[in-house]
Amino acid sequence: MEKSFWSIFKTFFKVGTLLLGGGYVILPLLTSELVDKKHWITSDELCEFYALGASLPGIIAANTAIFTGRKLLGRKGAIAATIGIVLPSFLAIVLLASILSEIVNKPSVQHIFWGVGIGVIALLFLAVKEMWTKCVVDKFSICVYLVCLILAFTRVIPLSLIVILALVSGIIFQKIKDKRNAKKQEGEKQC
Amino acid sequence: MLKLLAQLFLQFFHVGVFSFGGGYATLPFLYDIADKFHWYSAKQLTDMLAISSITPGPVGVNVATFAGFTTSGILGSLVATTAIILPSYIIVTIVFKVIDKFRTNRNVKGAIRGLKPAGCALLSAVGIKLLFTSNLHLLGTIILLGFLILSVKKKQDPLFYLGISAILGFLIGHFNWIGV
Repeated sequence: MEKSFWSIFKTFFKVGTLLLGGGYVILPLLTSELVDKKHWITSDELCEFYALGASLPGIIAANTAIFTGRKLLGRKGAIAATIGIVLPSFLAIVLLASILSEIVNKPSVQHIFWGVGIGVIALLFLAVKEMWTKCVVDKFSICVYLVCLILAFTRVIPLSLIVILALVSGIIFQKIKDKRNAKKQEGEKQC
Repeated sequence: MLKLLAQLFLQFFHVGVFSFGGGYATLPFLYDIADKFHWYSAKQLTDMLAISSITPGPVGVNVATFAGFTTSGILGSLVATTAIILPSYIIVTIVFKVIDKFRTNRNVKGAIRGLKPAGCALLSAVGIKLLFTSNLHLLGTIILLGFLILSVKKKQDPLFYLGISAILGFLIGHFNWIGV
């Protein structure tokens, strides 16, 4: 299939529509559409865009889509992919929001939402657990985790400042580690 | 009106710049907005989370659209949605140009090293706060513990937990077992 603004938009609109239950399913969805059906991109490239998208701030599904769109058709492709991935979610909420306030005030719906609130907390803790196993791996990351947790809980500084502090401390830690490794190697050479 | 739109834009742009770690990583910032402005309450946000798992798209985009819509209609939802996605667009465009350097750069590696546990910590703080502020009662706490024990044994689809908890919530409320 030809790569045009319209065809890229349509493809990402479809993926955006199927993107239920959070952005976790973006990779399998994009693989099925872009790699298997349309052969626009290889599976390796897509995986790399996903990994890059996950290592940048913002919404991972959107990051991955923008990377892929950019690769497919430059700036035009990136814009098509961005609008395509966001539009279904935008339309769904705009349609729902107008009827939502009426529905929510019914007692039975309130009960359902009370229950669903429990499910949401469970999902949140599962997300924390998954992030923990991936992200908190050594002494440094445990320290960062604990300090950030205390700062976020006590709210002594804004959340954005916590993120910036973590970023800077990571860079400094990496610099020190690199220097130490370089020294070690030099030491070994001299022996 | 214009002031409100500018505020919506700034707040959701801020979410797009600082949330790190995917999935629920936008949540700490979204709860922060609920505290500071009164565009939606913390409870509405929890409801939105449930709704957004049965509607298309990432949670962050859903909440931005919702907050924009409830405060200033279609125009507001357009502004807020654009604002949350714009940082991604700008950052990806820049990184795409220097993609090879980005992959090998030591500072980038260091930055990610610091950001990852921070994203996890911010989300943990939200989880703990939610535990104390939601009206779980004894029954809700038991259900939550049940879910967590179940998840250790077998990984389930998110919709599984939401479906079961919706049914339980309906039954418990209907028969007024705890007077929720």
